[in-house]
Amino acid sequence: MQTILIIDNENERASWLKASLELSGFTVLPPLRWQDVNENRLREAKVDVILVDTNAPERDTLEHISLMSGALEKPVVVLGGKNDPAHIQSAIRAGVSAYITHHVAREDLSGIIQVASARFAEFKRLRDELRHARQELVERKSIEQAKGILMTEQRINEAEAHARMRKLAMNKGKRMAEIAEAIILTHELENPGNKK
Amino acid sequence: MNNATNNATNNAITAGAWISGSDAPEKTHLTIGFMPLTDCASLILACELGLDKKYGLNITLSREASWSALRDKLVLGELDAAHSLYSMIYGTHLGLGNLQKNPMAILMGLNHNGQAITLSNQLRDQGVTNGTTLKRQTDKNQRQLTFAHTYPTGTHAMWLYYWLAAHDINPLTDVQTVAVPPQHMGSIMRCGDLDGFCGGEPWNARAIHEDTGFTAMTSQAIWNDHPEKVLATRYSFIERYPKTARALISALLEASRHADTYRHKEDFAALIIEKANIDAPAQLVAQRMTGRYENGLGKIWQDKYPLKFFDDGQVNYPHYAHGVWFLTQFYRWGLLEQEPDYLAVSKEINQVPLYCEVARYLGVSIPEPVSSITLFDGIKFDSASASAYSNHFSIRARETAAI
Repeated sequence: MQTILIIDNENERASWLKASLELSGFTVLPPLRWQDVNENRLREAKVDVILVDTNAPERDTLEHISLMSGALEKPVVVLGGKNDPAHIQSAIRAGVSAYITHHVAREDLSGIIQVASARFAEFKRLRDELRHARQELVERKSIEQAKGILMTEQRINEAEAHARMRKLAMNKGKRMAEIAEAIILTHELENPGNKK
Repeated sequence: MNNATNNATNNAITAGAWISGSDAPEKTHLTIGFMPLTDCASLILACELGLDKKYGLNITLSREASWSALRDKLVLGELDAAHSLYSMIYGTHLGLGNLQKNPMAILMGLNHNGQAITLSNQLRDQGVTNGTTLKRQTDKNQRQLTFAHTYPTGTHAMWLYYWLAAHDINPLTDVQTVAVPPQHMGSIMRCGDLDGFCGGEPWNARAIHEDTGFTAMTSQAIWNDHPEKVLATRYSFIERYPKTARALISALLEASRHADTYRHKEDFAALIIEKANIDAPAQLVAQRMTGRYENGLGKIWQDKYPLKFFDDGQVNYPHYAHGVWFLTQFYRWGLLEQEPDYLAVSKEINQVPLYCEVARYLGVSIPEPVSSITLFDGIKFDSASASAYSNHFSIRARETAAI
């Protein structure tokens, strides 16, 4: 079951929510007050879902932390929206926080949190895949570039350049892309003004 | 105010055909979001002067608690349009952060200038008065300083990052950055948890008034006549309600023209404070709205580039080049992992043809499109070579990622 963090300055409301979510089987951490929200706190908390109130002016604080430190990107469920299932659906689809009303029934709350966090995980997986694919593309380009440098400078063929880089990578315990970066940097150092 | 209001309406640009017959708005009741800041004034004025009614609209203003909440409501259609941070709309369009891509549209600019960077009085007591002395302080490495802005892809973040970097301080590694609601900046700074912030007014003026900080730099000193807040909506809104969009631009253009005159009137600040529910004394709003600055270190001046709402239409034309500049900064700071097609993205968002159609109809002058901008550090941005510009900065995100 997921771990939930409630960020709220209203003690009574936070305690009620905590009790209610615990009844649904969630693990709920002690509520955090907004003035105590910072990157370290959120990192330590190891939460799956964050629950906040729509009227909290500090939501932008959370937005910044999650954007700047990818590791802390968590689904945010916002309390205080309209009491309208279609609305909740479209919020989840748009990737903005899931909005739910304060008057939501306990069973519904649990369902919404499940859906929001599943969608978020799926979105994050797709994005990570994309990021990974891009990274690979960039790395492949720099490996090709480094090979080209070796071929010209050492007057060797492509297979030989590749073999030398592979050997170096193995000996140094580094990735091919890192070796390629080093070759390119050295080349740039030795040939200033000759960038790219 | 009432007399003035009537005169303004009577003397206003003649209402066009938008309101009648086939040009009548498809949707007449609009909810428009705003944040309680001095620069939401033209929206307040549009409703006060009944300019919405003049163009067949009925606008309800909705005061929002945070930029994130405003953004979500705008994306979800709870708001029809909103007073928005320029670059926040770009971030939303591109799906930065936890968002999906949500096609957005900037209808027009709402203001130029009028933001600032405030540093704490603790820093002042250590001899910091400007960017150069701040750099000297960060070099001493006594403790890592913390600076706040208002939203991760917002204008205040971009002004703050640019200013710090221009003084050789990397905003991503040399200092901590946080986003804080502007009305809380002063009190957090007083506690010593914040060394400076970039935000809108009246919060910089209030920091001086409450003796917590001083103005180290105005945003208009970073970039003379920079774009700031815009009137934005979803792209699907203008597709579905093109006539409503035109009527809305008409009402706001006319309100913008009046706002430039009204900002010199004595009771205008009080009106904004009351209608926007801003927690600050009227005199603070009034001073900076009219360009009378006092930096908290004893310097007093009349600013050459004060908050402007209209400036003969210069403020409202949504220049593509401005959007391109913000995109270069997104890439510079790693908010975008890959270089975008700068101009193409800007053309998706900034509704220049729609704006020009309305401006021409109302007889508002249309400026020459901006192609290059020189910021305070003397570095020239040329929209045509955006990629070279965004790659030329030595202080940036990628260097830090590589280490």
